[in-house]
Amino acid sequence: MPGFFKEHLRPLAGSAGLHLALLAILAGAALHWTSSQPPVELAIEGYVVDSAPPDRPATKSQRVEPSPKPQGDSVPPPEPAAEEATQRRAQEAAAAGRAAREQREADQRAERAAAERRRAAEDAEAQRRAEETEARRQAAENDAQRQAAEREAKRKAEAEEVRRKAEAAAEAERDAALQRRLAAEEEAGAAVSAGVMDEYRRMLAQTIERSWIRPLSARAGLQCTLLVTQAPGGTVMDVTLGACNGDAAVRESITNAVYRASPLPAPRDPRAFERRLEIVFKPTE
Amino acid sequence: MPFPQALNGRAARALAASAMLLMAAASEAQLRLDITQGVRDAVPIAIVPFGGQAEGATTEVASVVANDLRISGRFAPLERRDIVAQPTSGAEIRFEDWRLLRADFIVVGRVEPDASGLAVSFELHNVRTGARLLSGRLPTTQGGLRSTSHRVADLVFEKLTGLPGAFSTRIAYVAVDGRPPAQRYRLIVADADGYSPRTVADSTEPLMSPAWSPDGRSLAYVSFEGKASAIYVQRLASGERVRVSARAGINGAPAWSPDGGRLALTLSRDGNLDIYTLDLASQTLTRVTTDDAIDTEAEWARDGASLYFTSDRAGSAQIYRVALDGERRAERVTFTNSYNARPRLSPDGKELAMVTLDRGGYRIAVMELASRNLRVLTTSTQDDSPSFAPNGAMLIYASRERGRGALAAVSADGAFHQRLSSDQGDVRDPAWSPFPPRG
Repeated sequence: MPGFFKEHLRPLAGSAGLHLALLAILAGAALHWTSSQPPVELAIEGYVVDSAPPDRPATKSQRVEPSPKPQGDSVPPPEPAAEEATQRRAQEAAAAGRAAREQREADQRAERAAAERRRAAEDAEAQRRAEETEARRQAAENDAQRQAAEREAKRKAEAEEVRRKAEAAAEAERDAALQRRLAAEEEAGAAVSAGVMDEYRRMLAQTIERSWIRPLSARAGLQCTLLVTQAPGGTVMDVTLGACNGDAAVRESITNAVYRASPLPAPRDPRAFERRLEIVFKPTE
Repeated sequence: MPFPQALNGRAARALAASAMLLMAAASEAQLRLDITQGVRDAVPIAIVPFGGQAEGATTEVASVVANDLRISGRFAPLERRDIVAQPTSGAEIRFEDWRLLRADFIVVGRVEPDASGLAVSFELHNVRTGARLLSGRLPTTQGGLRSTSHRVADLVFEKLTGLPGAFSTRIAYVAVDGRPPAQRYRLIVADADGYSPRTVADSTEPLMSPAWSPDGRSLAYVSFEGKASAIYVQRLASGERVRVSARAGINGAPAWSPDGGRLALTLSRDGNLDIYTLDLASQTLTRVTTDDAIDTEAEWARDGASLYFTSDRAGSAQIYRVALDGERRAERVTFTNSYNARPRLSPDGKELAMVTLDRGGYRIAVMELASRNLRVLTTSTQDDSPSFAPNGAMLIYASRERGRGALAAVSADGAFHQRLSSDQGDVRDPAWSPFPPRG
């Protein structure tokens, strides 16, 4: 509070003095003309200003301060009859004040309107510029997107083309490799793989022959086929009798020969392994 | 025209390639291989002691069956101590247990009281596949249990070898006790496994050359009981016997014709030993050989139309064959060794067993008649008197053991040898019976 008074001492003092002067005038006028405009309101306003709380003082007091109203409004006709000229002058002055004030207000309004128009124009301009900028940015962005999309599509197309070419090349290579392998097998009489297969076949046959306890009824002319399924480890999983001109003793003996031989030997080259075997028993004597 | 040629070459390669692919696809399913030989091992088989209420009888069945199969040489029955479980029916068999014991087959069964006395039920299963191969129920009696057990062995043997079992058959042989001059000769008939010997003839003079009638009901044999040789035919069931030949000189080596109506004999009535046939019903004697050499040991061909016999007409003993009709010209059959004698035909008539002099020893051999291929079966030095089992799977013969005659058996392929123990002293002249009449 003291800070406040110290800071605003001069305007406050000025304001208080002016109010006091006006009050004196009003008090004189009130003797003759009580039914006038509401000076109370002004007085109240003044009090309010003075006693306004310190946290919102400045703007109100400032707004009040330049107001010319008290001057014009608060000049009462001194006396209806006796002081007609004074009254007239006062009225004229009031009217003039009013006019001036109106003029000034009109000016202010015009000025404000102009400012507003200006501001609006400026705003519009800014808006326009902003919109233009935005539009340009948008356009640029769209452009960039479009270009990016185009680039992506092109890249994709190129990648697809590369992939397609690679695939075609790989397929061609596979074909060529198959052809080469077939040609090689053809040329070499399929030497390697056939050799491995022959060896595998021989190993299997020897193992089963060692396990076949030939019954008395197994004579030359006998021919019996077994279909055998083996697991990858050589374990015999299933033995099924096919065509067979032998008796029960032969059938049991050949079936058991395969089971007795389990697990069957593995080929030297694992690729030669066959899950399904067709074993033909045909003793030569 | 190089271009069409190149095209043809490419086309051919393409065709070849597709053909190979097709072959690969076809053979992908399976690998084909041929089995052309086997082994002659004994088949491992579990003969589980039979169950049932007939106490005492039950274990005997399994041991008789196991022993029969063992002496056939074709089977290796599991030792009793290895038989830990005792299923008595197929439903009780845990095949994985027997697979672990490496048995290929299993026989289980029961002996139970029956309306007629006892009944033996049995089943044969393949251990590897679990399949039941055989089941049966044979009525019997306490006294017949042993022969019923032989029947079980016969049926198992037949199912697993393809040949009828011969365990229900019998053997005849001569046993000699004592030393000269106080010797005793007995003609004995026993089960094929040597059990239940029964003396059918008894003499202080030599008995020899027993021969079974085709129906297995009679034996012909040579007896010196009158100080001279004579040929008798004796019915086994009744013991009734008939002297069919007691001619001057030697009466020996009787052999029955396939129909049982005639005997082939060796007689010396005309000076030297020759082959004759004797019609049993009419007593008609027919001379078959007339050679100056020794002709003896006749054996009938299966059709009854010719005889095999031993002759030394070429200087040493060889086997000949003579047809009974026509000119009766003998043709020589054996050529391989310097001595071949005592011909005996296999049951199928395709092979001839004989005694052959092989590398310094008299041994049993079998010759395939079609190929004249001779295989020597034994390794001793004084083997004699081969006789085929009626299923052709084995031969019984006489051998020498520590200076005494003994009986031995060998499988027809020579793979399996068996000494037949005997408590009857010096034994000789074995003859294997035919199959008993069925029904």
